[in-house]
Amino acid sequence: MTNAESSAAVEIQSLTKRFGNFIAIDNLSLRVDVGEIFGLLGPNGSGKTTTLNIVSGLSKPSSGTVRVLGYDVTRDTRKVRGALGVVPQETALYEELSAWDNLVFHAELYDVPRSGRDARIAAMLDLVQLSDRRNGRVSAFSGGMRRRLALARALLHDPALLYLDEPTLGVDVQSRRAIWDYILDQKHRGKTVLITTNYLEEASVLCDRLAIIDHGRLVALDTPATLKRRYGDVVLDLSTDPPPTPALLQQLAAIAWVTGVQVNGSALRLTIAGDDHAVGHVVNFVTQNAELRTINQREPNLDEVFLSLTGRALRD
Amino acid sequence: MSLAYDLRVIRAVAVNDIRGSLVDRTFTILSILTPINFLFLMILFVLSGGQAPTAVVLQDNGPYAREFVAAMERSQSFIIQETTAARAQDLLRQGRIVAIVTVPANFDADVQSGTPIDLPVVVNNLNVDFTNDIRRAVPLSITSFYGEEFPNRVVVKAAETDLQPRDTNYIQYLSVSILVVGLMLGGLLQAGSNAAREHERGTIKELLLSPAARWAIETGKVVGAAVLNLISAAIVLAVVTLVLGVRPLSFSEMVGFSLLLIAMFVAFGTLIGTLARNRRTVIPLSMGTALPLFFMSGAFGPANWGSPVLAAIARASPVYYGIAVFQFAFHGFTTTPSSVVANTLILVGFVIAAILLSAFVLRHASVAH
Repeated sequence: MTNAESSAAVEIQSLTKRFGNFIAIDNLSLRVDVGEIFGLLGPNGSGKTTTLNIVSGLSKPSSGTVRVLGYDVTRDTRKVRGALGVVPQETALYEELSAWDNLVFHAELYDVPRSGRDARIAAMLDLVQLSDRRNGRVSAFSGGMRRRLALARALLHDPALLYLDEPTLGVDVQSRRAIWDYILDQKHRGKTVLITTNYLEEASVLCDRLAIIDHGRLVALDTPATLKRRYGDVVLDLSTDPPPTPALLQQLAAIAWVTGVQVNGSALRLTIAGDDHAVGHVVNFVTQNAELRTINQREPNLDEVFLSLTGRALRD
Repeated sequence: MSLAYDLRVIRAVAVNDIRGSLVDRTFTILSILTPINFLFLMILFVLSGGQAPTAVVLQDNGPYAREFVAAMERSQSFIIQETTAARAQDLLRQGRIVAIVTVPANFDADVQSGTPIDLPVVVNNLNVDFTNDIRRAVPLSITSFYGEEFPNRVVVKAAETDLQPRDTNYIQYLSVSILVVGLMLGGLLQAGSNAAREHERGTIKELLLSPAARWAIETGKVVGAAVLNLISAAIVLAVVTLVLGVRPLSFSEMVGFSLLLIAMFVAFGTLIGTLARNRRTVIPLSMGTALPLFFMSGAFGPANWGSPVLAAIARASPVYYGIAVFQFAFHGFTTTPSSVVANTLILVGFVIAAILLSAFVLRHASVAH
């Protein structure tokens, strides 16, 4: 199904999508390489699902081009769909049917050869640990089981590109971990995985690269580690007695390594761009001016990165 | 993407829809019961509206008086009840009859002697339709009586040439039309529900994301709904043929045209369901589509006998051709200027157009953005 000449799994160039006067995607360009897990991050309404609807041929671009595995999505839509495995946000399973029958129906739709089809279905159910529930009606499944079954369905026709829209939305912690393992396993099998998520931890754990989209525009595109470093190398959470004075805050902000100062009562959060030497210098400075009660050093998280890049929280 | 693959998709979608409908019984039962309910409703309408319940008070029991009552019966306009004058008044007061026709004393003697007779007719003229039936049918019965008993006295007679080999009464004609509306309602509701259910449950995304051709998906939906629709079609056909006693001239034509009409109506139902995306919208939309189409498409008589404007509108309706081919299968006549073959081809065209239109709508169906 794939076009062997292309090394890009997805290539989006100058993509714009309008709904009347509303611009959902604004001149977006990005490239997803074969074999990587690529995340699209953005708040609701940022344009990430619209982007992926266009990638999967469900929606037509207003302008720009999108190529999937070398195929133009507007011209070779059926080839693109055949090469794509999708786990939509709303799991979209036939609830009145059993897990097995859902997969049989999917196999028919995706023209999975009859010889070996049953073995393939059994293997997929085994992969997502639903073999013992193969004949159970989906309506009786938990949210996590449905999500796993949807994943098995998306993998059934052995797609070159897997697209998961909010793969762990509404599932319990145990199922979330299991789904992460399946996704990482796909990468090890050489598949390309494209995910959208609101969970920064998920993006951080899974994605090789992340594109942050806001108001239909690409705000940032890099590895999770690099994106975090853009915000700062270290975040220090301190509490002091007495609470930090305005003069102290001013002095801290003037230190070259300090890129951010936030205060809430006696709690002080400092963002530092620098190594352990810089951290030590800043901590010393604080202890000279106030009694240090607690201290916690950590890496910046993607929530903070997102806020700094877009000026709003991810779930606004 | 071969034809064999498309056929497999059609089969898979059809089987999937049938299984889903059998589990989701509420809408399936509704789809079966609604056309049957409508059939009975229309039968009641036919039975109640076809003939006027009339009391006949015989004050003379002679052979001419008896023959006059027989002439009234032959007119097929009355449901006659012979009774006394007092009882007839009671029935009229109670609203159980439309009119009282009294055959006066000395009727036979006056007929023989040629003495003018005043035939008392009391009408409850609260409904002009029934009143006009009485006004037309009593003089008709008198003429019929004279034509039968004194052929030499009636010098002007209609020399009738029948176009059809046999007469078709109102019930026989209307029952066939009702059959069509039964198939229409069943098809629209069943197929509309199946198509809308995909949108309600979000499973449409599974279909839209697949590489299957849109026309194959829609055809599969049509086939699935058609199979389910056969249940209500069989019941409606059984009621018309076995209960009402309206038998087809050609059984094979009846079956063939039934299948064609089922295919057409489920194709339109699929289109409605694909557009509506919600089963609660499908029901009023199906009813709202079916009833006007039924009434304007020659349900009570050939549409071309009505106003030219309505006839022109009717010719754009698939129901017009559906009623025409069914009347042909049952009674052997055509109710349209076009031939049965032409009507059949037009219906096939409607089926293909509905499937292609559904596929077009599905192709352009937007999903969550």
